[in-house]
Amino acid sequence: MKPFRKYWAFARVACGEARSHRGELYARGLFFALILAVFAALWRAVGEAGLPLAARPERLVWYLAVTEWVLLSAPLRHLEIQEDVRRGDVACQLCRPVAYPRALLAQCLGMLVVRASFLGVVAFSAAALYTRELPAWSALVLVVPFGLLAALVLAELYLILGLVAFWLRDATPLYWVCGKLTFILGGLMLPLELYPRWLQVLAACTPFPSLLAGPAGFLLHGATHVGALALHLVFWALALFGILEFVFWRATRVLQLSGG
Amino acid sequence: MNAPVIELSGLTKTFRARRARSSGTFARLKDFVAPITEHVLAVDRVSFEITAGERVAFIGPNGAGKSTTLKVLSGILHPDAGHVSVLGFVPWQQRQALGYRIGTVFGQRSQLWHHLPARDTFELLGSVYELPRAQHRERLQALTRAFDLGPLLDKPVSQLSLGERMRAEVAASLLHRPQILFLDEPSIGLDVAAKSVLRDLLQRQSEQEGTTLLLTSHDTGDIERVCQRAIVVHGGRVVWDGSLQQLRRNYLGEKRVRLWSEREHLRFALPGVRVLSESPHFTQLAVQVNVTAVGAVVEHALRQGALSDLTIEDAPLDEVIEAFYRDTRTRQAS
Repeated sequence: MKPFRKYWAFARVACGEARSHRGELYARGLFFALILAVFAALWRAVGEAGLPLAARPERLVWYLAVTEWVLLSAPLRHLEIQEDVRRGDVACQLCRPVAYPRALLAQCLGMLVVRASFLGVVAFSAAALYTRELPAWSALVLVVPFGLLAALVLAELYLILGLVAFWLRDATPLYWVCGKLTFILGGLMLPLELYPRWLQVLAACTPFPSLLAGPAGFLLHGATHVGALALHLVFWALALFGILEFVFWRATRVLQLSGG
Repeated sequence: MNAPVIELSGLTKTFRARRARSSGTFARLKDFVAPITEHVLAVDRVSFEITAGERVAFIGPNGAGKSTTLKVLSGILHPDAGHVSVLGFVPWQQRQALGYRIGTVFGQRSQLWHHLPARDTFELLGSVYELPRAQHRERLQALTRAFDLGPLLDKPVSQLSLGERMRAEVAASLLHRPQILFLDEPSIGLDVAAKSVLRDLLQRQSEQEGTTLLLTSHDTGDIERVCQRAIVVHGGRVVWDGSLQQLRRNYLGEKRVRLWSEREHLRFALPGVRVLSESPHFTQLAVQVNVTAVGAVVEHALRQGALSDLTIEDAPLDEVIEAFYRDTRTRQAS
């Protein structure tokens, strides 16, 4: 249990750190509520104009609430790793008796708990307010655990991007590419069923659909894909963890730190 | 004789660095498309041993390879060649196992969580170093007393002054009773009073718990107050390894003599003697002791009249080291 105790401690401290950044959390919540308001109005207008939609406008608002909840809950640790590498602060982390990638992942978990709790309340309240309806409880019960796991997998992806800073010093361009891929291939705003067939196939080969469209899909299709989504998420969580460990192992060999 | 706790032999480390072509638009375009990278030798076949409980200053000008060596010793960087053993571990291969037994303080970096009270970091470190709760509590109490951290523990680190933060940083590094403490410019940016407190704490800690200290600093005060031995590196190579006293005596061999005389304006036309400052009844001299003995200088003064007071001191370490660097550069250039 001892090894777990130390990573648990990292998660706990990160939880405190996330709580201390109240301003950022409130700003995210406000932005989230605003985005949902805009899209709720948009889907309603599209529906009233008689244009075809994949589902009822109210359902699409709940869909967006879940995809955005997952996306905004994942901590952007890559920015901090990048700064640590640039300033040389990473030296302080590396000489501790901990596996650095696991400590980072534990910190993500701690931050995720705080952010997902707060943003979850915002998402639920805003979506309920704008649509004046609630999805089935059975769907919501599935959305929460799968959404949290998806946000953790997304955080793993960001950590890998952060470690690339050991080579590039600036991982921001990669983050932007990854962000756009998440929006498009993850089905952030629209369900993937609306995409052309070839794009659906392409998306299925990446982790992105299981991160956003997967958990949000419970609100559109019910519990039809629980087993498949669980398998996908566990597969990507393990695969990305392996890549994270490997990238760190390589990164320590190329590490160059500014002197004192 | 204690067994060595740090052994280095032929440690070599190079970094890859980009080199710009000459100026001009075409050269810049070529730099962008196909940059030139070259290997820069940061540490060049460095060898030394340090025994348990020693307090060693690792000094040299900027870019001499001090921090790089420290980072190899603490397992952060991988060397290109050489044998290194720290407490029997190969640092870069057994980084985590070594981590339990060493502590590090990087003066310009922080291991404390910036937005949280220092106590939270101490709690985290207690878990990281797997300290039993009772032992952690007891150790934290002792360090709180020794480093006067009582009023600081519950303040967010972002609200601490630099001196307060450094006290907390050093205490955090000592929480798990490391056998070796690596300090990279621990007093950088501190005011005179905070530096003095930090130096006393380090010395006392090493004496009481037998902690081996390896310290890099550009502040000779740190070196003089804390260390007994100095290893000087220049251009990545060790150019001196010995006691501070030897460094002063064998190298610069200069003493500072201050005389307060009853007669005005004493004269010193002696070989190897320079007048550094004077007023009617006071003269400060720099005496090259291998040219003229201090006794001869005092006798010369007494022949001119009675002295009301006199002091004899070693030359300031700053000057010794500066002269050392100058001489090393000249030798390397020739």
